Amino acid sequence: MKKSSRFLIASFVLTLLIIPCLVAQGTQEQGSQKVVLTMGSWRTDDVEQMGRLLTEYKKIAPNVEIQFQPTNPPDYNATLRLQLDSKTGPDLMYARSYAAGQELFNAGYFADCTDIPGLMQNFTSSNLAPWRMPNGKMFAVPFAAVSHAVYYNKDIFKANGLAVPTTWEEFLAICDKLQKKGITPLANGVADEWDILECFFLGMLPDYVGGASERVKYESGEKKLNDSSFVAAYQAMADVAKYCPKGYESVTYNDSQVLFNTQKAAMFIDGSWTAGVYADATFNWGVFAIPAPKGRKTAICFHPDMAITMNTTTKHPAEAKAFLAWLCTKEGATTASKNLPSGYFPMINFEIKLDDVHANEFLALNSGKETDARFVWPALMDLYSPMNQAVIKVMKGQLTAQQAADSVAALKK
Amino acid sequence: MSKKKNSIIPHGNYWIIYVLPALLFYVVFMAWPLLDSLRLSLFTGNNIATRKFIGFGNFVRLFTEETSRARYWGAFVHTWYFFFIHMLVQNCLGILFAVILTNATMKGRQFYQTVIFIPTTFAVLVTGYLWKLLLNPVWCGDVLSKMHLSFLVRPWLGESTTALTSVALISCWQWMGIPTMMFVAALRNIPEDCIEAADIEGANAWQLFAHVKLPMILPVVGMIAILTFVNNFNAFDVVFATENVNGAPSYSTDLIGTLFYRVGIAGQHPIGIPDTGMGAAIATITFIVLLLGVLPVLKATQREQ
Repeated sequence: MKKSSRFLIASFVLTLLIIPCLVAQGTQEQGSQKVVLTMGSWRTDDVEQMGRLLTEYKKIAPNVEIQFQPTNPPDYNATLRLQLDSKTGPDLMYARSYAAGQELFNAGYFADCTDIPGLMQNFTSSNLAPWRMPNGKMFAVPFAAVSHAVYYNKDIFKANGLAVPTTWEEFLAICDKLQKKGITPLANGVADEWDILECFFLGMLPDYVGGASERVKYESGEKKLNDSSFVAAYQAMADVAKYCPKGYESVTYNDSQVLFNTQKAAMFIDGSWTAGVYADATFNWGVFAIPAPKGRKTAICFHPDMAITMNTTTKHPAEAKAFLAWLCTKEGATTASKNLPSGYFPMINFEIKLDDVHANEFLALNSGKETDARFVWPALMDLYSPMNQAVIKVMKGQLTAQQAADSVAALKK
Repeated sequence: MSKKKNSIIPHGNYWIIYVLPALLFYVVFMAWPLLDSLRLSLFTGNNIATRKFIGFGNFVRLFTEETSRARYWGAFVHTWYFFFIHMLVQNCLGILFAVILTNATMKGRQFYQTVIFIPTTFAVLVTGYLWKLLLNPVWCGDVLSKMHLSFLVRPWLGESTTALTSVALISCWQWMGIPTMMFVAALRNIPEDCIEAADIEGANAWQLFAHVKLPMILPVVGMIAILTFVNNFNAFDVVFATENVNGAPSYSTDLIGTLFYRVGIAGQHPIGIPDTGMGAAIATITFIVLLLGVLPVLKATQREQ
């Protein structure tokens, strides 16, 4: 009896000991020289494209295998944080721009990328800025930017004799015409909250406040967040609410995509990253810049979105660094851009031709216009949620444009 | 009796090995994390290197900073409202259905029992998504209008006045089966002669319920109340599935659970840097509230044990 009980306890303890060994074995590569690197990302939609890119890289570095392991986008920051805290972080990973990325560099998880060959030479200063620490150190290699615009159904526009609007007033007139014909003009909703701010409001904000040079004035306090430009921008949201789908209060981002894709809505103000969703659309579609009101210049929200960095505690720093350096070469950047999903644009200085028609259409919107990152990203991130709520309340008629602007301006430190 | 028991067990401490696995799991996965989260509420910083002891700093910050105070009390009130809707709708309907189902003259009991219980077996994400579509004018507006139910075509989950009630009712609909089944089991355990005696005395249906059945299932009522209380104070999934982690619209469906998730686990979108110490502080308060809430109910309803 006693013997068997001892055996029981011994086997139980043994099991407990074996479990961590089994887990640990998974991360160690069995082969002799083959190196396996993991890459963390928030782009669950891009498994196929990244797979192609990483296969291309394998031709250059045959002994390095990079495994793409994306996380659900809203959970990425938290998951990554958890992995890094518990020392199970990926070797390479996507880095968010500005504050979110800086925080992980300060915590000692993102490697210092400043000395990666080609990084400082092949990117413009403004493209490096989102991933640069105040002391000039780089914590990631810029990878891709996204744009924001109005997707429109060319077939519906043609059938109703509508032309692409060049001013906000024309845009509203088009919405009005479509609505009178029983067509939902805009697919946008507010249920998921983030999209109405990031794609719509911040997408059109450069039309009202101008580009980066003007944004800095708001950040320094020289201009107020409730000046006439801002009030006008909030007012635009109030004006456009009635052209959103009936019950837009409970329309989610996915609903919006479906509404546009099933031709139930004629236009959708969204980010370029969605372009791939409509690749198989049965109708003709295009994009135009969110037009500025009369008397103002149309500008584009061209947002630095993705960069790739490496883990300070990776077991294979040389291999990880080599991959990042490859992304800084013309060859690497071209291969990367060719394999990026449509709607993501390279940030490197080299002239890179994209194949996708709609991607080029998006890029063409930039020509001759000022561009800037999303307004709150560089320095006013703590105003993200208040601005988000203010925009929604203006649309629902719970606040006037002036009240909305005041409520956000009051929180500026 | 105790002497007899002792004689069965050969060696004094032999029972330990039977308790050990359960105890080990309980300590490692329940007790230790709980105590550790209480400890964590006194610290700030996200990783071990930067963690710093700040006493009750997190609690002070939670209740003095304007936005975090507003969010906490908002979530606190919503959670209580959420709980009362469950007590009122889920548990009262549960008792009603149980009484009907255990009625001797009831036909097709199995069928109704299954219908009531089925939603409990679905994943919350699935039912949440279904309700999100059903309550959305874009997808169900036309159908409802054709059924001459136009007054139902409203963005129920998108208006701050109706969102929380809608979410609570979705949750009630889903979990109604559990209290119903427990009440059915309790009602079946009532000795037949008690009911017969009441019948002979001339008690009507209401008197039979209020004076015979209800007192006899009171311990189960207490258990259900406690379970509802604990589950609702930890509720998160239904809001996550039907709204978002911000408790949209305008924080009107923000519960303690979603607030905790936002603060302590995920961090506020888009930066997404969690404040684990603050999160632990919220969890600690919830733990105390639960403790204070559960003890009196236990005392009041479980004394017969």
